[in-house]
Amino acid sequence: MLPENLTAIVARNETWTGEAATEPYEAGWAKEAIVFVRALKPPKGTLPQARIEISADGLHWAPEGSLFDLPASENAVTFQRLAHFGNFLRVAVSLSTGAEITVLVSLHLKA
Amino acid sequence: MTATSSQLDDMRRAIREADPQLSRFDPLPRIICLDDFDRGMCGWTQLVGNYEDTLDAMLPGYAQHSHAMLSTLPNWDFGSHGGVDGSYALKIATRPKKGAQNVAIKRLTFRKPGPIRLEAYFSFKPEATELQLSETDIRSFGFLYDLQVGDQHGAGGERVMPHLRFLNALDGAHVQKWQFKRRTTPIKPIGSAGKTISHYHLAPDDWEDLPGGEQRLCYNEIPTKVNWHYLRFDFDLATMRATGFQVNDRSFDMSTYESIRIPAMKNLWCMLNLGFFAETDSDKRAFAYLDSVCLSGDF
Repeated sequence: MLPENLTAIVARNETWTGEAATEPYEAGWAKEAIVFVRALKPPKGTLPQARIEISADGLHWAPEGSLFDLPASENAVTFQRLAHFGNFLRVAVSLSTGAEITVLVSLHLKA
Repeated sequence: MTATSSQLDDMRRAIREADPQLSRFDPLPRIICLDDFDRGMCGWTQLVGNYEDTLDAMLPGYAQHSHAMLSTLPNWDFGSHGGVDGSYALKIATRPKKGAQNVAIKRLTFRKPGPIRLEAYFSFKPEATELQLSETDIRSFGFLYDLQVGDQHGAGGERVMPHLRFLNALDGAHVQKWQFKRRTTPIKPIGSAGKTISHYHLAPDDWEDLPGGEQRLCYNEIPTKVNWHYLRFDFDLATMRATGFQVNDRSFDMSTYESIRIPAMKNLWCMLNLGFFAETDSDKRAFAYLDSVCLSGDF
């Protein structure tokens, strides 16, 4: 049997302002991941970089170290490659006042 | 039953009982799918709502849904729990907001309108954000079919949606009873092309008690320990009626059970969708877990 390979939509048409993050996603079976972020509407304000966070329990989060740009225009796409992330994964952002982005976030996981 | 068919049944049963993967199920003669989540997602996916032109058109009940995941049931206090006989289970997680729901679905069609049997080993727990038992933090665990007659059925054909949920708690009360529903929300057109409609069949209203459906399930003694439960739901696609329902050692009277019924739609002939869902009664994530699911039929 081929190794497991999953596309998981973890945020769909969610508008992020202030402190925002995708819901915790368990992917301990996967050896590698790519996170794609697509802007579904024109973003507003100055966008910060997004960060990858990992967690032992889905409750307490730590920055994994990866930072990547958010898409700057409608339908633009950015991504981050990941490996060796344990189990729980999420994308987190800290947006300043006036900044806003509506996103589609997908995880592409491979065993 | 002829002697030959009886011998065939005996042989089939012997083979299945010798197979540890199948021995804990009681499938009808033909296994449509045996989904053990140690093998991966097994065709279970997210229930996305209908839309046209923009995702903003999606009903809010569906917009909240997210992807199920392969989980080892990891806990902060003792680590991975694991499944009935392997490392992984399918995890359906709600968002941390009272009333939030999430659904995992598998989409099939049927080849003979006859008896089908759904069996599963399941469990549920709230996210362990407190050092409390939290037994009333999950509102419900449940399952549903979304079915429609074949295209040659003729007039009066229906789309039929059997629903059952274990109402664990409501507004902090530990209710613990099985419920069904026969009504959905009004059908709403989506977009302008006249091709798509939507209705939210998991709306919190219109659940009715299954007579005799009170059941005290094992929920263990701290917020992270789970026990696996067995369920079996029998349905006849010929009559579109439920014929049996069992959870662990209890079999329930289904004589007053009814499904949601709406007129057949022009694009859903022979549909056989099955779904499981979780609903939270607190501002904590509710987790429903499926170790394995067996769908079988008599054909």
